Amino acid sequence: MPHVLTIAKRELTSLFFSPIAYVVLGLFGLSTVLLFLRVSFYPGAPAEMRGVFSSVAVLMIFLVPAISMRLLSEEYRSGTIEPLMTLPISDTQVVLGKWLGAMGFLLSLLAPLIVLAGVLAFNADPDLGPIVTGVLGLLLVGGLYLAIGTFASATTQNQIIAFIVTIFIILALTYLSSYLAQNDWLYDWVKQGLFYLNIYEQYADFAKGLIDLGRVVFFVSGIGLFLFFATLTLQSRRWR
Amino acid sequence: MALKGFHMIHADQLVKWFGPTRAVGGLTFSIPKGQVVGFLGPNGAGKSTTLRILTGYLPPTSGSASIAGHDVLKASEAARATIGYLPESTPLYPEMRVEEYLDYRGKLLDMTRPDRVRRIGEVCDRCGLSHIRRRLIGQLSKGNRQRVGLAQALLHEPAVLFLDEPTAGLDPDQITHFRELIAELRKKHTILLSSHILAEIEKTVDRVLILKEGELVADGAPDELCGRVVGGSRVLVDVQAQADALSAALRQVTGVSEVQTTPHDGWCHAEVTPEGDKDLRQSLVKAVTDKGWPIREVTRRKANLEDYYLQLFREPGDAPAAATA
Repeated sequence: MPHVLTIAKRELTSLFFSPIAYVVLGLFGLSTVLLFLRVSFYPGAPAEMRGVFSSVAVLMIFLVPAISMRLLSEEYRSGTIEPLMTLPISDTQVVLGKWLGAMGFLLSLLAPLIVLAGVLAFNADPDLGPIVTGVLGLLLVGGLYLAIGTFASATTQNQIIAFIVTIFIILALTYLSSYLAQNDWLYDWVKQGLFYLNIYEQYADFAKGLIDLGRVVFFVSGIGLFLFFATLTLQSRRWR
Repeated sequence: MALKGFHMIHADQLVKWFGPTRAVGGLTFSIPKGQVVGFLGPNGAGKSTTLRILTGYLPPTSGSASIAGHDVLKASEAARATIGYLPESTPLYPEMRVEEYLDYRGKLLDMTRPDRVRRIGEVCDRCGLSHIRRRLIGQLSKGNRQRVGLAQALLHEPAVLFLDEPTAGLDPDQITHFRELIAELRKKHTILLSSHILAEIEKTVDRVLILKEGELVADGAPDELCGRVVGGSRVLVDVQAQADALSAALRQVTGVSEVQTTPHDGWCHAEVTPEGDKDLRQSLVKAVTDKGWPIREVTRRKANLEDYYLQLFREPGDAPAAATA
């Protein structure tokens, strides 16, 4: 575990050294503020953040992969993977550390939402429950996106490919699954399966203020699964 | 098996294929504790691949290897815990500061904080990094990056050191310094280093392994290998005499197998090849002075590693081609 934290800390620091981090932070911050003003912050609007949160979940599809794309690809490209993998640490520790570092960045990415919620609470009287669960839900959604991104990044030394593959998998798990689930000719169990896999369906309850254990299990196991894939991919580089 | 424990590095029938290309073909060698071994061979001979297998970065296609008795596949983490490794081209994180990077490595190597503070100070001193500890790695020159790579490999005082092209990018002064460093390290560490600078290897190592197309073609101490050079040592003399007369006089000396003379402005330069590896300087000087000819130079030129290396790698077709040209 100390190794995981060491790697995570280095990753987080180095993320803040890359220009892409500031582009993502800037775009994300700007977009959430604009969304907030447009969706939640005008006279007569309901005192809640739901609308902002669901838009943020969409925004994250395109911005979070930009954080995760470099995690392992950059190590492959620059060759630093070699001194890293010849240390007496396991591949799982490397993958977990990378993902955790990116999660640290995600926290700073979501920080403006807390500020905006504060602004809302100062001017109106929102129900804080759904806001707290909404942010928690966004962390889980972002964590899953990052796990998918870590896996994609483990497959290639090209950051652009990692970025595109990540977005593709996320889109498949959001829009494609809900689109396919509308087809009548599919078996019911397939539809239910697709429905279950849909990230937005899983997120919806959090935005409403509910913490359903089943939903949490979905995200945690999804994160675990993709990090496991990432570890296998990293390991397979030892076997080529 | 008992032998394996005795050897710090042991490779047994290592083979590595990359797709259809064979990088390493059946390499077997053992390196005892405390030996400094140089790995030589042209580009693509399989040096880096072998080092990558021994450090646990790449698995061999077949065969096995062990470091200090730990199999690099079956006990990979234990094997990796005993090594320090400077990979080829020294990959480092450009956005980190020198001491930050060393501290990061130290943490991943399970060093305690006081240990890290002490060792980082020591390796920075040794590798000449003390004045640039706070600099960003990305802003360092090639030579300084190389030193950071070396410092990183030495950090945890590993029993076994693998250095891939450690002198690449260093200036002559730094290379001298590096040689002194290796001399210091040989007391405690077992070292396998690859290089293409033959003169460097010759002065630094106890033993040389030469690879050709993934196979071991020579294994021995530098002196021993030099002794294998055909027409090994020669004596060069510069005498004021007629070429023919000089040649005839020198051939009379016992032990001389061949004499080549080249006249130049009144003097004559002779290159004498002895039978075996005998030192004929005294008898040659006597032969010349007996004739009363003035002599101004006598030098014995011993074969060096480069001669042996060239002998190994010169294509069989080269000599006739040169003759017809």
